[in-house]
Amino acid sequence: MSAPLTHYLILSALLFCIGFAGAVGRRSAILVLIGIELMLNAANLNFIAFWRYGPHPEALTGVMFVLFSIAIAAAEAAVGLALVIATYRQRRTTRMDQLDTLKG
Amino acid sequence: MLAWTILISFLGAAALVLLPAESRRAARHTALLTALAGLACALAGAVQYERSAASGTPVDLVNFSWIADLHIHFHLAADGVSITLVLLTGIAAVAGVLFSWNIERRTREFFALYLALIGSVYGVFLSFDLFLLFVFYELAIIPKYFLIAVWGSTRREYGAMKLALYSLVGSAMVLVGLIAAYVVSGAQTFDLTELAKYHFPAAFQHWAFPLVFVGFAILAGLWPFHTWAPTGHVAAPTAGSMLLAGVVMKLGAYGALRVAMTLFPEGLRAWQNEIALLAVIGIVYGATVALVQRDLKFVIGYSSVSHMGFVLLGLMTLSKIGLSGAVLQMFSHGIIAGLLFAVVGRMVYDRAHTRDLTELQPMNLSALAPFAAVTFVIAGAASMGLPGFSGFIAELQVLAGAWQVFPRLTLLAGVGILVGIAFMVRVWIKAFFAEGDIKASAIPIEPISMPERAGALVLLGTTVLIGLWPGLLLNLITPTLNSTLFQGMVKGGPQ
Amino acid sequence: MTLSLDWMIPLIPEEIVIIFALAALAVDFAIVRRMNPAVRWRVIGATACAGCVGAMIWIGRATNYGTSEMLALSPLTQFIKLALLGLALVVVVLSLDARFTRHTGEYYALLLLATAGLMLLISSENLLMIFIALEILSVPLYVLTAFDKTREASAEAALKYFLFGSVAAAFTLFGISLLYGMTGELGLGAIAAKLRTQPVEPVCYAALVMTLIGFAFKVAAAPFHFWAPDVYEGAPAPIACFVASASKVASFFVLAKIVIDGFGPIRGGAAWNDFRAGWMPVLAVLAVLSMAGGNIAALAQTSVKRLLAYSAIAHGGYALLAFFGNARQMLPALLFYVITYALTVLGALAVAGAVENSANGDRMAAWAGLGRRAPLLAVCMFIFMLSLAGIPPLAGFFGKFYLFTAAAAGQPHLGMLWLVIVAVGASAISLYYYLQVLKQIYAVPPPAGAMPLRASRAALFPIALLAALVIVFGCAPGWLLGRLSAVLNSSAF
Repeated sequence: MSAPLTHYLILSALLFCIGFAGAVGRRSAILVLIGIELMLNAANLNFIAFWRYGPHPEALTGVMFVLFSIAIAAAEAAVGLALVIATYRQRRTTRMDQLDTLKG
Repeated sequence: MLAWTILISFLGAAALVLLPAESRRAARHTALLTALAGLACALAGAVQYERSAASGTPVDLVNFSWIADLHIHFHLAADGVSITLVLLTGIAAVAGVLFSWNIERRTREFFALYLALIGSVYGVFLSFDLFLLFVFYELAIIPKYFLIAVWGSTRREYGAMKLALYSLVGSAMVLVGLIAAYVVSGAQTFDLTELAKYHFPAAFQHWAFPLVFVGFAILAGLWPFHTWAPTGHVAAPTAGSMLLAGVVMKLGAYGALRVAMTLFPEGLRAWQNEIALLAVIGIVYGATVALVQRDLKFVIGYSSVSHMGFVLLGLMTLSKIGLSGAVLQMFSHGIIAGLLFAVVGRMVYDRAHTRDLTELQPMNLSALAPFAAVTFVIAGAASMGLPGFSGFIAELQVLAGAWQVFPRLTLLAGVGILVGIAFMVRVWIKAFFAEGDIKASAIPIEPISMPERAGALVLLGTTVLIGLWPGLLLNLITPTLNSTLFQGMVKGGPQ
Repeated sequence: MTLSLDWMIPLIPEEIVIIFALAALAVDFAIVRRMNPAVRWRVIGATACAGCVGAMIWIGRATNYGTSEMLALSPLTQFIKLALLGLALVVVVLSLDARFTRHTGEYYALLLLATAGLMLLISSENLLMIFIALEILSVPLYVLTAFDKTREASAEAALKYFLFGSVAAAFTLFGISLLYGMTGELGLGAIAAKLRTQPVEPVCYAALVMTLIGFAFKVAAAPFHFWAPDVYEGAPAPIACFVASASKVASFFVLAKIVIDGFGPIRGGAAWNDFRAGWMPVLAVLAVLSMAGGNIAALAQTSVKRLLAYSAIAHGGYALLAFFGNARQMLPALLFYVITYALTVLGALAVAGAVENSANGDRMAAWAGLGRRAPLLAVCMFIFMLSLAGIPPLAGFFGKFYLFTAAAAGQPHLGMLWLVIVAVGASAISLYYYLQVLKQIYAVPPPAGAMPLRASRAALFPIALLAALVIVFGCAPGWLLGRLSAVLNSSAF
């Protein structure tokens, strides 16, 4: 309870930026996926921090959102990995720059 | 009565679609019957209107609420100007069918699109709700495109696409203007007569008028937006060029008069001189370019630009004599250009398989196809504006009206007429009366068929009839220009 | 405390759809797994149809409206759900003769689950609910996009769709978290109330933009559109239809709900004489980029599905114009446009799917002479294309006209006319590429020895029905408009 809210917010903003950089910068689909997870978790951190420092910590809105968001992120990750595998089976690669059947 | 013209044309198109694909004869006859029925309705409607006590005011034909949320009505009405152009459409439609009698490829589809185009043109001329007018105006674009793209000749896809895009860009400008006018007037009505009563702010009129006017005038071949016209005319099949020059260009001029000029009289006065200048440039430029063309259809195509310049010049005079001259010139040019394209496209090109003047020169067409030569000479004379033909009265009125407002420009337009005579004489000599060497003319040429003769006679008869007896149409047009709808634009202008 | 199931009653239509999704799976496993594919697809397809129809019947009969913190049930939401179920039903029927997968039960179950997500999305009144519903919609769609294992493009498209979608979802989530921090609320109405009373901090604008990104992705507005062409081309044809139609209608509706209900107080201005920060300038920029980018990119396409995808981006741009209309006109204009657009693009993509099945590709050349080879399909495509181009008297024309009028009338002194001019100009140019397709169909002769193209009845019937609707809604838009204003007047939007 020592660090003020802004510290958490800066941390989450940094996490989000790192995640985004990973998502747009990396070629491997797996690493992009990890970047996306970072971005989602940055948002989750925000929710918890805002809830904890907010005017109504007795209302569990923030926590609730985070619980749902974690579950959704898990589902997304599962589908994402499945898609990566499906692509790998056909193309023997997970590098985004080599997935170029579709363009125009 | 007049509203039936639209319905009959679309019903005819629908009937053609339902015919079996192989029945070419039936398709031709259906199309001819439909066009004749349309013409009969137009004539009956004109007589009815003339006998009624309407004396120039619009008479409602159909009026019911169509899209209530936006206050859009299905409102058809007619006054002298629209009846004149409906008559023109009827005559051009019949002649066009007669000159397309030899279409063997996809006959049924050809005539279905043809009648759909005719129906939309009737619709534009009779709509008094601006939304409805716009609907018919856009509806005409698609048949035009396919008539040229499927049945056309030289660079047909290019010509068709150019025409479609020019039309659509023009109608986009019109659409912006219409929406703005609708909103500014309080979003209560699209009715032309109601909107014409609304006094639009001057600042609004100053930009809305050129937008809507030019949007329509693109289709009327206003210089420098005319470039679709020659390529489109050349690429189109015979009946297509006849309709393009005969009625489609009139759609633009009619829209400019009926919508832009009626709604925005102050904007009109602000831009009057500039547009008159463009019109005169069109007259001179069209005639001059026609003088040096080698392709016969390009000659006629550019001459259309020149003749439509007279229409626009007449509109800009804002005097009764100039305006009635402009409307008469629309009619007259529709008939004469249709005839010229019919001779060039059907009688000459379908037989000689060339339209190049230097190639036609040795063929001595006057001996090979005397009927074509005679028709072309008479049509050419009418196109020059010789007395006894409809073009004479029309251009005379336009020049008389213009002389009072823009004397210098009128002199220039006179030069345009002289050049017009020159290119027509050049075509006469080169295409028909050159000293032919017999070898080249040994090509077997089929005789001019009955439908062609009939079509040519209908058009020739009309231009001579109006030339000798202009009162037939002027009695329709002049009272209309006195009506309240046109008061705003004529009043304040020089009388 | 007694166990009450009352809370389940408002969601019965959604529950029906979900139960039938499970039923489709169960029927597949228990009964038809070993039967021949034709019977199996029919039986399971019929189950899915029954789910959609059952939910439609229930919605048609139920009249218990009401709004809670989380959900809203109003005549408007029920009307849109009916429309969505109708679109989903068409997709279900179109899938009947699909043979790209052996997992029939899973296919239909996922399709129905995505439909349930759509319906939930329409009713959501709370950012948490909206986020959950969006994901219930998106996750099945990612999987469905990858369903065609016979083509490499399918999995690739799905992966791209997934990655773009997840990044956009992360942005939205982050935006929501900031919004939650600023206002302490998640309900749309409560957020608006807070934004109205307390001073708006700059962070709110950041939150606004980030939240909107997710929806811009869903409606494929440029520059968040990159997934669309790949998905349209790579996904199985019925799924592309679903993404292009139902998913788009729902996303636009929710976008409207969020910006009007939630962000109403920070509207800003995008009029030429009144440019202020808020969601209006953001949407105006998206609209311009989509209309310009979509149309220009579409000019260069040779695959009809990709062409439709870029045209869909442009159409998304037109639809954004509705947001500048006044309160009375914006929703009818938007909904009329997106619903008729959905019908049209659904039909066009279905035709593209039929052509692709028979011609092994949907490049322009595969369409040559279609007017001869399949007259009915060709006529329907003719109608769809002209409606997309905005030629009267088809639905697309009136839809655009109403949108443009609403946008021009929305702000004082013709403030948004500049955007209308951009839209009208863009739409004029678009005729070029629609005519390219029609030229192939009607003007170019069929290749020598081309066989007549036989489409199955399961494809022909819905396509013809959609074409008829496009004509009817164009010639007599009064009926749909009347329904829309009736349900709007009786809903507190």
